[in-house]
Amino acid sequence: MTPGTDDRPGRWLDAQLHLLDRQVLDVDDVPVAVVDDLELSEVPFDQEISIDTPPPVITALLSGAAIATRIFGGRPPESRMQRTPWAAVVDIGVVIKLAVGRDTLDLAWTERWVRDRIIGRIPGGRHIPGRKRSEHSGSDERGGS
Amino acid sequence: MKKSFGVALGILTAIGGFVDIGDLVTNAVVGSRFGLSLGWAVVVGVIGICVFAQMAGRVAAVSGRATFELIRERLGPRVAVLNLSASFMINLMTLTAEIGGVALALQLVSSVDYLLWVPFAALAVWLVIWRVKFSIMENVAGLVGLLLIGFAVGLFLLSPDWGELGRQAVQGVSTDTEKVSTYWFFAVALFGAAMTPYEVFFFSSGAVEEGWTEKDLAQSRANVLVGFPLGGLLSLAIAGCAAVVLLPQLISVTALSQVMLPVAMAGGKLLLAVIILGIVAATAGAALETTLSAGYTIAQFLGWPWGKFRPPAQAARFHLLMIICLIVGVGTLLTGVDPIQVTEISVIFSAVALPLTYLPILIVANDPEYMGEHVNGQALNGIALIYLVIILAAAIAAIPLLIITGAGQ
Repeated sequence: MTPGTDDRPGRWLDAQLHLLDRQVLDVDDVPVAVVDDLELSEVPFDQEISIDTPPPVITALLSGAAIATRIFGGRPPESRMQRTPWAAVVDIGVVIKLAVGRDTLDLAWTERWVRDRIIGRIPGGRHIPGRKRSEHSGSDERGGS
Repeated sequence: MKKSFGVALGILTAIGGFVDIGDLVTNAVVGSRFGLSLGWAVVVGVIGICVFAQMAGRVAAVSGRATFELIRERLGPRVAVLNLSASFMINLMTLTAEIGGVALALQLVSSVDYLLWVPFAALAVWLVIWRVKFSIMENVAGLVGLLLIGFAVGLFLLSPDWGELGRQAVQGVSTDTEKVSTYWFFAVALFGAAMTPYEVFFFSSGAVEEGWTEKDLAQSRANVLVGFPLGGLLSLAIAGCAAVVLLPQLISVTALSQVMLPVAMAGGKLLLAVIILGIVAATAGAALETTLSAGYTIAQFLGWPWGKFRPPAQAARFHLLMIICLIVGVGTLLTGVDPIQVTEISVIFSAVALPLTYLPILIVANDPEYMGEHVNGQALNGIALIYLVIILAAAIAAIPLLIITGAGQ
């Protein structure tokens, strides 16, 4: 993650190529979001940066309102950012995997709201299509295959 | 044994699922005005959808990633959102046309006005999406859709002058009464009808739904390379029927009943019943596919959970979105807009939006990070690049042709 001249072991990642717009999966491999933007640690603004200052690091994955600013420019207010702490990331491949479940994440609140208020209330809404028994387990099993 | 059954089933489903309202209407309109002289456009379109669907299916099976996730990853959010808006609107138009097609076919059976059938058709589509297993949905719609072979039977029963049909197909422009621009307008329409973007969204997302892996690549290839061309023959049979019966009498197709008229003349009530059942299955199947595609594209762009392998409550926004799309489609039809005209416009815009979807799949199919050893071979890349040029040409020409010809009037 750390760019620069050090020779610590690890992978080089291009934020644009390997992080932005990648699918994020939770601990059960259920999609939770796409990386809409990245939050970096504070860089002092309008000041001389001394040569031994540590480079900024990624502190969070952003989603939600951030997508609008990627498309139209600008910057969303701090309160509208849906942050997933970088510490929750466990794997970066063609998808980004988290070590936490989706129900602990703020950014999944719209999904939960629609589930609890609308879809979950329609008869049959909690059954896998084509299966008789309802399955409430959080795991991401495929129906009937 | 079980495996060969699976392959056969997949191929039959692909044949039956190939034709939708766009193919039905466009082929009949073209057959009634140009005979088989535009048959080459169907062939070009069918080869194109084979190349495209084969790549998209392979990408989905190997990487486990569906088309729209990749479009955003590869093109970035700005281009992807343009692409999403265009694809979504066209998809919604196609969805509306398909539901209209189901309702029109039911009207022919029941003599009840199609507008009364529209809400029931949409409700049935929703119930299937809500409750029926993906593979059953696919297989039933595809197998009943096979009844459209009735068009080929009808063409044989009409015992046409095959030499004359062959001459039309080989010579190109046949009629002196039609303008060159109109001819090319319908060439683009046939191309768009064969290569509708939703087919690829559905095909690649369906591969994820059914949990395809590298082991299923052979099956996927068989479905596409055998099933789609045979489906394309059904398209040609529809055009052929119209060419034999409607062209000489200068009847232009403006209603679904005229699409079936030649078959009714050739095979009587029985064959007509078969065809109507086939049309109901084909349009209902396509209505299911377009509704799901509407959900797939947006859910994949925004990273929502999606898919019929989850209970709806585990993919809540995906299901809510599909319900809204169905309501919008029903609302549009209930304004009294002609479903046949919606279809004709939607196939043209399909051609316009195609490059946006085709290019990212072509790029990812060549990316070893996603594909490992299953990247495109050189021969396939050669064909795929030729198609990139054709697709771009059709997309650029589509709207000018639409304006010059006044939508082919």
